[in-house]
Amino acid sequence: MDVLIQIVASGLTLGAMYAVATIGLSLVYGSLNMLNMAHGAILTLGGYICYAAIVHAGLHPALALLAAAFVCALVGLMIYFSAALPLLRAENFETNIFIATIGIGSVIENLMLKGFGPYPIPQPLAVDGQVVIGNVHIPLQNVFILGVAIVLMVGVAILLQRTSAGRAIRATSMNREAAQLMGVRVGRIYAQVLALSGALAAVSGIMISSIATLTPVMGGDPMLKAFIVCVVAGLGNVYGAVVAAIALGLLEAATQYVLGVRWSFATLLLLVILVLIWRPYGLFGKQQVVRL
Amino acid sequence: MAEATLEIVDASAGYAGRIVLDAIKLSARKGELTAIVGPNGHGKSTLLKAISGLVPVTSGEIYLDGLRIDRLRPDQIVERGVIQVPQGDLLFPAMTVHENLLMGAYANSDGLAERLDFVFTLLPKLKERRNQTAGTLSGGERRMCGIGRGLMAGGEVLMLDEPSLGLAPIVIEQIYEVIFNLRREGRTILLVEENAERIAEHADMIHLLDNGRIAWSGLGAELMARPEIVETYLGV
Repeated sequence: MDVLIQIVASGLTLGAMYAVATIGLSLVYGSLNMLNMAHGAILTLGGYICYAAIVHAGLHPALALLAAAFVCALVGLMIYFSAALPLLRAENFETNIFIATIGIGSVIENLMLKGFGPYPIPQPLAVDGQVVIGNVHIPLQNVFILGVAIVLMVGVAILLQRTSAGRAIRATSMNREAAQLMGVRVGRIYAQVLALSGALAAVSGIMISSIATLTPVMGGDPMLKAFIVCVVAGLGNVYGAVVAAIALGLLEAATQYVLGVRWSFATLLLLVILVLIWRPYGLFGKQQVVRL
Repeated sequence: MAEATLEIVDASAGYAGRIVLDAIKLSARKGELTAIVGPNGHGKSTLLKAISGLVPVTSGEIYLDGLRIDRLRPDQIVERGVIQVPQGDLLFPAMTVHENLLMGAYANSDGLAERLDFVFTLLPKLKERRNQTAGTLSGGERRMCGIGRGLMAGGEVLMLDEPSLGLAPIVIEQIYEVIFNLRREGRTILLVEENAERIAEHADMIHLLDNGRIAWSGLGAELMARPEIVETYLGV
């Protein structure tokens, strides 16, 4: 029983971090058909901004988190205006933006390397203490991460389902031309989605670095896993991504316990291959049912 | 004669350097039903897209109540009250009927409840289906939802692109009943239709679009009295 509690606790923490890392990626793909390869670098930048805001600027951790989210939202806007907007006007947008964001990610990574150095730095935004369930000691940091992730996921769900702006984002992702005919300014929606994705990546980066350490290349692994979650859920399916992220987090924790840490990533990749064979459009990215 | 609401003056438009519309000149007058007929692929839908700002107008002008709109963005044109119900509906399939209708009022949400009531009164089937996702509606219901969504915008001019396309005759009758009711209520309607016979009796003015040009303009009865035009262009 204790083992199960430990696996569930670790799995939920991992899944919550993957979910927050994936939501932004999925939103951007769903709206713009854009695979944002700079997502991992933005995520790392969020972690460093939070670190700098607390250690160098002396800000309260909550303000540091907001500052990181704000800066990364601005980076998202910068990506829209400097790369996505001009490339949207040309052909082969999906390929061109894929390559462009690899370049942007590389620039951000190198700026962090220059600014903070290559050595691991601990993230000061940490919660001390632990919760005891049976014989299992769960760090409060993990509970905090889960709590923040739930708040963010609920917030994004309310935004998308209950607000006019959220409906416009969903409408644009379903049919750009129809959204324009409803009076939606799609360029503004794209900018908003990239800014929101940047802010979510920042929070994700802070959470991940709070249980590991900050390095300029730390975003690579979570971005790869976010892509795995996106593929398993179905590219662009935000709600499916949350469920898939939690499930993959639990699977990863179970694999690490049963088979060992070195098998966890291989298991995720095997799962992706199986999903792509069984349902090429993802577990939740079901083919559109339209009566003819 | 009624005051011109929508006026197109020698407008040309097209895609990626290919001109589809060549010096189009027509007007849709306030409270009237103006129909554009013509063979498939001769620019009827492109004309509506050009008015909506989705296809760039390369020369000429388009005016709404004297205000030039051909250089505006699509969202600005919607804000000024020119609403298009596109061909094939282009509903948001994963949204419910209710959400689709709310999207119709995205640019102008004043009097939202009254407009929703109006749409549900005019199209009662939509009220029954309000919580159903649009992708699961039947063809006729989808078309109704498209028209309802267009009405939710509360615009001055309603442009309908082939509302009867692909529907069963009985559903087409229902759809046109709704359109003719709207016309009787004084809405300005610009209607694209392939079947001239269907609208000849009701349209205040018919324009025949051939190869991107207006080949003939006149009253519906006049068009039906010209068998050589009807046969040549419309294959009736």
